[in-house]
Amino acid sequence: MTTLKPGEVNLGTTIMAVKFDGGVVIAADSRTSTGTYVANRVTDKLTKVEERIYCCRSGSAADTQAVADIVKYHLDLYTSQHDEMPTVKVAASLFQEICYQNKNNLSAWIIVAGWDKQTGGDVFEIPIGGSLHRPEFAIAGSGSSYISGFCDKSYRPGMSKEECIEFAKNAVGLAITRDGSSGGVIRLAVITKDGVERQVVYGNELPTQYTG
Amino acid sequence: MSIMEYNGSAVVAMVGKNCVAIATDKRLGQRALTVDMGFEKVAPVTDNIYIGLAGLATDVMTLHDRFRMRVNLYKHREERTIEPKTFSNMVSHMLYERRFGPYFVEPVVAGLEKNGQPFICSMDLIGCINYADDFVVAGTAADNLFGMCESLWEPDLGPEELFETVSQAMLNAVDRDSMSGWGAVVHILTPEGVITRELKGRMD
Repeated sequence: MTTLKPGEVNLGTTIMAVKFDGGVVIAADSRTSTGTYVANRVTDKLTKVEERIYCCRSGSAADTQAVADIVKYHLDLYTSQHDEMPTVKVAASLFQEICYQNKNNLSAWIIVAGWDKQTGGDVFEIPIGGSLHRPEFAIAGSGSSYISGFCDKSYRPGMSKEECIEFAKNAVGLAITRDGSSGGVIRLAVITKDGVERQVVYGNELPTQYTG
Repeated sequence: MSIMEYNGSAVVAMVGKNCVAIATDKRLGQRALTVDMGFEKVAPVTDNIYIGLAGLATDVMTLHDRFRMRVNLYKHREERTIEPKTFSNMVSHMLYERRFGPYFVEPVVAGLEKNGQPFICSMDLIGCINYADDFVVAGTAADNLFGMCESLWEPDLGPEELFETVSQAMLNAVDRDSMSGWGAVVHILTPEGVITRELKGRMD
């Protein structure tokens, strides 16, 4: 379980990002809990740090908001100084620097994903402790433990955008059902060179699951 | 996390016009993990009494069996069926017997007396009875249920209206509690019989 201070708000959470040829699909649930109370059931955990770079936040709500704000500032400065958009790798590196150097004071498990001209779609994961990883797809948050097997079995390299969206909906939907700290709606975003399309999937629109 | 929050639960009972309602959620969890979405927390004691138990699931199951035993013994000895108020006192006694090593449950009793009078009460884990003439709540979603009941309940609701009221109170209360929900069951007790309905709710 996460090491939150008493009264601190928890992004219990299930978040994920999947790369496809041309961009990434990112997804998150929408529950923020304070202990057992659901403080916000329509949270937006997909946070923009640049036009084509988003982060998925899990862990302490305050810590991840603060870190994302600081990275957003630095990326804005980068764009001004270089007259070009930063790559996803640069954004992830900035997240890592903050998460690693402040590891004793932070409770953050972040996925950074987006599109840049150099690489196309890119996904990075920064777990607690501040290490940087670059997988093909990433799952994080308390709900991720329940879907590791499902994701490993379902994921195939070279999936299309639509297949990635279905994969994300299925995975986050399953985690929401089993994890008490995840719930609400599924927020999705598809990031490509053409922009960011956001969508919301409500409980009644989820792919069917066995629920006893 | 306290032992009372380990499994998660939501129980509510309400009084209507010549009827009572009792409802519970169906989740069985182990901290954040949901293990079962069909866990029974309310059981019939007699045709006219239902008891719902919030709290630690192992104690919920054990106590349901112990109540069944005691009620059967009562019937043999007294040669009549136990009444709701008497049964509540029996439950209170059984819980206080374990004052210094209690069952981690919060019971909610709902029933109809012999004269048709509605009866509800709730108890804490060591048997302090709280009688009410409107509604009683228990479980991890108790605070949310208090808010819902206080705003939705009014006196003299008929069986169908009472069903709507108790259902809305339950569904909206558990939506703000991460440890309860995953479906609900509602029993309406009337002099003619019991109407049981399952509620379709959010499975998150």
